[in-house]
Amino acid sequence: MASDRGWRLLLFGLLCVGALGQEQSREVWLQYNPGTLDTSVNVLHARAVGNGSTIHYVWSTLGTPAVLLIYSESETSQLRVNWSKLLSPEPQGALSVEPAASVRYATAILFTRIFEYQDVNNTANFSGTDEKYFYPPYDLSRLRWENANASVNATSLSANLTSDPSSFQNGSVSFRISAYSTAGRDTSSPRLRHTANCTKLEFLLAGIRPRGNNSRFALEMATVEQEGGKKMQSVRSIDDEYTPSVFEMMQLVPDAPNSSLARGFLQWKSVAYGSPNGTRADILPCQLYPLRPVNATFPAGSIAHAYFGDALGDAYNLEAFNISFGIADGDFYDKNQFLSWSALIGYGDPPRDSFSILVICIMAVALGTPLLLLIIGAIVVTAMRHKVYSNYEPIN
Amino acid sequence: MADDEDRETLLPGAAGSRKRDMAAICDPSRFAHRVVVLALMCFLGFGSYFCYDNPAALQTQVQADMKVNTADFMQLYAFYSWPNVVLCFFGGFLIDRVFGIRLGTIIFSLFVCVGQVIFATGALVNAFWLMEAGRLVFGIGGESLAVAQNTYAVSWFKGKELNLVFGLQLSMARVGSTVNMNVMGLVYSRIKDHMGAAGYSTLGVTLMIGAVTCIFSLICALVLGYLDKRAEKILDKEQGKTGEVIQLTDVKDFSLSLWLIFIICVCYYVAVFPFIGLGKVFFIEKFQFSPLQAGAINSVVYIISAPLSPVLGFMVDRVGKNIIWVMCAVVTTLASHLMLAFTFWNPWIAMSLLGISYSLLACALWPMVAFVVPEHQLGTAYGFMQSIQNLGLAIIAIVAGVILDASGYLFLEVFFSACLCMAIIAVVMLYFVNLLRGGDLNLSAWEREKLQKQAAIEAEKEQMRRRNSDWARIRPLSAFAVRVRYLSRLGAQLPEHYCSHLSSLAHRSVLK
Repeated sequence: MASDRGWRLLLFGLLCVGALGQEQSREVWLQYNPGTLDTSVNVLHARAVGNGSTIHYVWSTLGTPAVLLIYSESETSQLRVNWSKLLSPEPQGALSVEPAASVRYATAILFTRIFEYQDVNNTANFSGTDEKYFYPPYDLSRLRWENANASVNATSLSANLTSDPSSFQNGSVSFRISAYSTAGRDTSSPRLRHTANCTKLEFLLAGIRPRGNNSRFALEMATVEQEGGKKMQSVRSIDDEYTPSVFEMMQLVPDAPNSSLARGFLQWKSVAYGSPNGTRADILPCQLYPLRPVNATFPAGSIAHAYFGDALGDAYNLEAFNISFGIADGDFYDKNQFLSWSALIGYGDPPRDSFSILVICIMAVALGTPLLLLIIGAIVVTAMRHKVYSNYEPIN
Repeated sequence: MADDEDRETLLPGAAGSRKRDMAAICDPSRFAHRVVVLALMCFLGFGSYFCYDNPAALQTQVQADMKVNTADFMQLYAFYSWPNVVLCFFGGFLIDRVFGIRLGTIIFSLFVCVGQVIFATGALVNAFWLMEAGRLVFGIGGESLAVAQNTYAVSWFKGKELNLVFGLQLSMARVGSTVNMNVMGLVYSRIKDHMGAAGYSTLGVTLMIGAVTCIFSLICALVLGYLDKRAEKILDKEQGKTGEVIQLTDVKDFSLSLWLIFIICVCYYVAVFPFIGLGKVFFIEKFQFSPLQAGAINSVVYIISAPLSPVLGFMVDRVGKNIIWVMCAVVTTLASHLMLAFTFWNPWIAMSLLGISYSLLACALWPMVAFVVPEHQLGTAYGFMQSIQNLGLAIIAIVAGVILDASGYLFLEVFFSACLCMAIIAVVMLYFVNLLRGGDLNLSAWEREKLQKQAAIEAEKEQMRRRNSDWARIRPLSAFAVRVRYLSRLGAQLPEHYCSHLSSLAHRSVLK
């Protein structure tokens, strides 16, 4: 039985290696405020080209901070920004992708509010906490943002969108964005596995002065989907090699069985970290709460409004959901005044963790050697027995 | 006091007359009194067994309150093992030659007690190094106390209810471990409620409460010492001895088979004890058990092995074929580790399997030593085996903590599985070595019996031949005859060392 498992593992390992080899890569460009020198707003555009398609990721802190994912079946599609319209009070239609006919799918994630509540009994029960323990939520659309131009690194394909410390309790909310041209794995916790079809966002709450004792935070997000809505999937994996003691992966995927093109995803490990070290001791498990429909009238608008236009309210489904950070009897935010949560946003099949080559090798060697030894031993013993009998025949 | 003793020895008749007046419960020669002594003996080890797994039962709390990572946490187990790398050789010696059983027991109990108090104080003053020091002191006492406990048992119950006594002591040890696993978490949360918040002082108070069991055991040691002294006077019996002889130079004569047995022992136990030390949090994090459930499932290995050990021991006795049994045990353990690593199946299955295979291994592996070592080297062999086992446990405990922090549970389980695979390799090699050299390890019980009969016949023939011709005398014995002769010297098909009353077998690693 053990050997059987070993062979299967080995086979699986070889398949994985094969699959890795075939992994697609894309050419990626990261641009800040394309087409303007105005730095009063931040618009980051990542363009990932390859395999006959382009994935556009547009990040902006205009109004409600949001990320837009547009999948276009053309390697030459371009993002057009009408800046004067974008900066006007009615930005609808300021963003578009050309040729418009090549666009097959678009979705957006909006980061709407941050909740802070007092966890009196240290139960980390966000949904069950009484209303009176909640502080007024922070509306992210009201924050001022620093100029992100300096943080854009076109070679490592990363950028930071950071809020102005004076606008938020002396601390900052920031989104660290990384795009990838090939498949691989992050070096920092939670070491998510990515493909060229996704980008990573790291949500950071650093140095914010809690408004009371025992403060915990939760993040509210909203998602846009054209057909049906989104659904949440929990993928439990036995493999916690890269994120020790975290066995759950959460995915937000379109719930559109009729559309083969609706394949945008948001994927994250159910874990946040309470310190920049990102070790096992800093783990803050995160809890996801069910999706609920919301109406599209965001007071400040967002880049999603600029792309989807007025149809956002009618033709698209807007759903909001919360993620709370922390676990019963765990540390509170004020321990390190730090919180980091990472997620991947992308198009296609969400990446899946597989056993590392090291694990597969160890198992193969460990299970194979005793078997080999058994076989060799059996042969040697048979041979020696034979010899013994032929050499020492009784003399009569 | 000294006067009393003098009078006692001068007037043996007086003692005899007093004996007749005593109530049954006070008379050392009566069963009722022995029951009292038995109860004391059982509770003698309770404290040490209860406190040994305190860290495992409170892992999350220790790590949170003392702010240590898993590698540092596992140092608590490593520090228990370090002194025993050496002490395995000297426990028996200290009891026989230096302290005597009574004083020895009291001293070891004191070490256990003081160790636990230091351990708790370390938590109270938020000094992790002090906690480690406490575990070191605790380790010095703990393992030797188990030897003392067994020596007491032999001295009071030899030729009477000895097996039952061993069984009861073993059960008591298990009760201690199990109660600890299931209760310490509750105690902690009660104290937390009482003190308002969790913190190192909560942990310290909880561990201090654990120390009460050690004090209780110390009291048992004192009373037992008094009763033993009294019995010595009344019954004129000698102070108990372990009778252990350790000669380190014997190590160079150890055979390949014995070294293979050592490897099996180390590789197997390092995949069991450090795992149990880390188990509670594993079940909480991977299988989403509540802390209470996790404590219960983590103690299931101990619970299962309590009733199963005698049954399996009897079975292995009857059937023989020790290597095959060891093989079964190691493979089953590997299977249960693979289950825990690669599936989300209910861990009760895997842990029950682990409990069964663990008991089976103890029954089949330890007696094998007696087959490959001449009787006079047996003490050394067992001492050496435990010494390197403790060395292995200390090192692997730390390694396991490091692996867990860096690479998670899957990798840790893979590592444990790899250790078990090394044990399997050693078993396979042992099998072939035994086969090629014609050892007795894998004979079935009836073959052993047959060999003995043949040995008897052979010996008779040999005598005849010797009588008939002088020539026969100078002819060397065949390997077969030597082996048979050795077997016949062993007496019954199972050597007497098989009984766990050999003091070397009294160490925690074997008992547990």
